[in-house]
Amino acid sequence: MKYDVVVVGSGVAGPIVARDVAKAGFSVLLVDKKPAIGTPKQCAEGINVNVFKEFDIPYDKRFINREIYGARIYSPSGYTAELRYDKVSGVILERKVFDKMLAYYAAKAGADVWARTEVIDLLRKEGKIMGVKAKHEGELVEIEAKIIVAADGVESTVARLAGINTYAPPHEFDSAYEYEMIIEGYDPDLIHLWFGNEIAPRGYVWVFPKDEDRANVGIGINSDNEKTAKYYLDKWLKENNIPTKKILEINVGLVPVGGFVRELVKENVAVVGDAARQVNPVHGGGMYEAMKAANILAKWIVKALEEENLELLKNYTKEWWEVEGPKMERLLKLRRAMEKLTDEDIDVFVQLLGGTDLEKLAGGNYFEVVKALMKHPKVLMSKRRLEILKALL
Amino acid sequence: MKKIKVLVNEDKCYLCGGCAGVCPALAIRVSSSWQFFEDKCISCMICIKACPVGALSYEEVAQ
Repeated sequence: MKYDVVVVGSGVAGPIVARDVAKAGFSVLLVDKKPAIGTPKQCAEGINVNVFKEFDIPYDKRFINREIYGARIYSPSGYTAELRYDKVSGVILERKVFDKMLAYYAAKAGADVWARTEVIDLLRKEGKIMGVKAKHEGELVEIEAKIIVAADGVESTVARLAGINTYAPPHEFDSAYEYEMIIEGYDPDLIHLWFGNEIAPRGYVWVFPKDEDRANVGIGINSDNEKTAKYYLDKWLKENNIPTKKILEINVGLVPVGGFVRELVKENVAVVGDAARQVNPVHGGGMYEAMKAANILAKWIVKALEEENLELLKNYTKEWWEVEGPKMERLLKLRRAMEKLTDEDIDVFVQLLGGTDLEKLAGGNYFEVVKALMKHPKVLMSKRRLEILKALL
Repeated sequence: MKKIKVLVNEDKCYLCGGCAGVCPALAIRVSSSWQFFEDKCISCMICIKACPVGALSYEEVAQ
């Protein structure tokens, strides 16, 4: 089998690359090792409402569980900061349907799609990477391709086989565990986040409503922690007297929250999405970054194929770092600053933060917020808090 | 430095692939089953801590 491009992994990044490259008239094969694309989900499923327009994705009710109007964060002692809009600001997706539909859009645009196809190695001839070797329902297949896209998630196997260095130390990953369950008493129009060193070391507990009484309830903690993510989530549920008798689904996974990849391309192989650690290091959401990167990558694949010059692929690395890099670096800095906070610090900051501050922090545009916080007596009196904030400027 | 063999508790494992993602040596592969390559393992134990559900453990092997 011969294609212009083979895309390995059909999550969020893969199908968007496949769709955009197929649209330009090139032959594309999109493969995923899972028998059902989208299943199991490894996601809290929340995404900003603007992505549908920005990335030309239909606003299809079949994969939108619920429209969300904002967020509320909770400090260890129970202080809260809230951001609430009059208009829909985000949605909670059904990733099982969403991912499959993204693959369907790729197929409609002209790409071939193969589920249950696991790439086991690269195809090399005379030292050159010529494609991939895969297993499809137990049968070995060789897929030749001019360009290989490694969109294979956190494992990042294909990129690493190609010699792209996507290794990151364990501290740069969050370990995550989630129940989809019946839960009541939390405003279903908002997403809810709890912070605290005893609650979720380095990360947070989330409640993302899919119905009035059904939500993704999950946790992320530093993956080099002695205890498991499951341990901390179960502890939190117990301490808050939340019954766990109606569990509909359990999801598990690791989330890159740093460990950025400097060189996203090697020869004719490009890495994108979770595999490239293109994830917001503060909140661990990777869908937006995956879409953004897929968009940039597809553009340069098309140019490289049109001009028959694979060197042009390197511009994907350049453009990604120019467009998204500065924000990602700021967010990583913020994540590292947040890790130093004591529970008392978190209490103080949550008391001082307003809703719009939260938005700026999540987007990495925190300069004004930090400057304002630094003038506050509760911060001024603490040398340590000042130091943490100063490091951000 | 002891040499280890990583073991999976299949009843606990979700095949989420996280361990393969944090492994510095590509010593774990996860597809429809959990596979471990002893010759590649560098005994760092990163995978064992990282597993969200504690499905991994180890036993020492003679060097």
